[in-house]
Amino acid sequence: MIAYSKFSTKLIFLFFLLLCFIACFCVLLYGNRLSDCMGEKEDIQELLNFLLEYSTSLMGVGVQTARVVHNTTRIAKAFGFSLDMTIFQKSIIMTIVDDDDPLHPKTSVDKIKPLALNFELISTLSALSWYIYDNRPTLDEVWVKFRTIMAKPRMSRWWVLFLVSCANASFCRLFGGDGIAMAVVFLATLVGFLIRQEMMNRHMNHLFIFVVSAFVASMVGGIVVINHWGNTPEIALASSVLYLIPGVPLINSVIDFMDGHVLAGFSRLINACLLIICIAIGLSITLLILGVNSL
Amino acid sequence: MSVEFLESIVYDGLFAAVAATGFAVISNPPRKAVVVSAFMAAVGHGLRFYLMKGGTLDIATSSFIAAFVIGLMSIFFARLIHCPAEVFSFPSLLPMIPGMFAYKTILAMMKFLQGRDEMMAMSNLFEIFRNGLTTLLVLFALVVGAAIPLFIFYKQSFQMTRLIKKAGL
Repeated sequence: MIAYSKFSTKLIFLFFLLLCFIACFCVLLYGNRLSDCMGEKEDIQELLNFLLEYSTSLMGVGVQTARVVHNTTRIAKAFGFSLDMTIFQKSIIMTIVDDDDPLHPKTSVDKIKPLALNFELISTLSALSWYIYDNRPTLDEVWVKFRTIMAKPRMSRWWVLFLVSCANASFCRLFGGDGIAMAVVFLATLVGFLIRQEMMNRHMNHLFIFVVSAFVASMVGGIVVINHWGNTPEIALASSVLYLIPGVPLINSVIDFMDGHVLAGFSRLINACLLIICIAIGLSITLLILGVNSL
Repeated sequence: MSVEFLESIVYDGLFAAVAATGFAVISNPPRKAVVVSAFMAAVGHGLRFYLMKGGTLDIATSSFIAAFVIGLMSIFFARLIHCPAEVFSFPSLLPMIPGMFAYKTILAMMKFLQGRDEMMAMSNLFEIFRNGLTTLLVLFALVVGAAIPLFIFYKQSFQMTRLIKKAGL
């Protein structure tokens, strides 16, 4: 009797052990699947941080507003979120909401980064948004890619200096300037653009930079007028400041108007107009020094 | 069409290409885009030169046509090298900016402020308005001409940087 009961306790004990194993196994399996389901959706706050970083960088490098909105919405859609954004002249407000959980949206604001114009970033960041849309990588991979894109160095500043000087000299030729005028414009652009680069490295006020470099470049161009070199001194003086014209913001502002982003377009237009007025001020100082009636 | 005229168009295009290259590198474009924008500027500026000198068109209308052609070409090249179209259409417009008219506006303004003679003031005012209006109209024609193709191919212009084409999309 005793032996039988001992045997049955052992059996029951073993049975329980087996049950425990099965239960553990089930929990493990179920838990795994549960965590898999959680892993498919990125954390809403993490994604919002990335999207803000992405859109403020893109907006800073000089791209039409519609492209910023399209690219950012595309990334959010790839992760299964809906997005709405409001773009002001200095900041971006963004609200995203999980498509499976529409009752808990999240909103955040960030300042637009004051970056220099960079078309390579526009191209590669747009390509990144399509890459995310087509391949659905995890957010960590996306951050790594984003950081490598942002860390890519610009073209050497000396090359830029040389090419801009050549460009302005041939611009002078397009207006009908002769050889002497072209040479002087080359020199004027070299000096003016070097000053602009140096002042930009020291983070001075950009309006002040434009006044000073327009003044210096037109003074160098004014050498031709003072000495009466060549047949076209006036063209040399006129085209010596043209490398400063903010063409990209002007074009972007009109495209924004046509797209319906009137506020962003207007702020770009006003910024570009301010820069043009600064160029005009720098040129006017030169004209006053040279004597207006002699021209 | 004489040989000299053809030659001057080619020279015009060449200098426009150099100018576009220089103005493009300020905004750090991809290397391939620099070549494309130089080519497009040469074609665009040569076309404008031909329309202005060979035909009877004024500077604003011929700028508009040249900018429209540049915009159409930029859509084509964007599809070819997978870059957004505006990356090379913007720099190739820059050689067409009416710099001389802008300069003459400022000069006339300074003369108007400095002058004491009333007759001179009238002629300076006329100069300010004529040159200023021409500058504005040419700028407007350039920008709108280049932007219209972007709006005609609106949906496509956002898909240029996509590398994989999915079925049904």
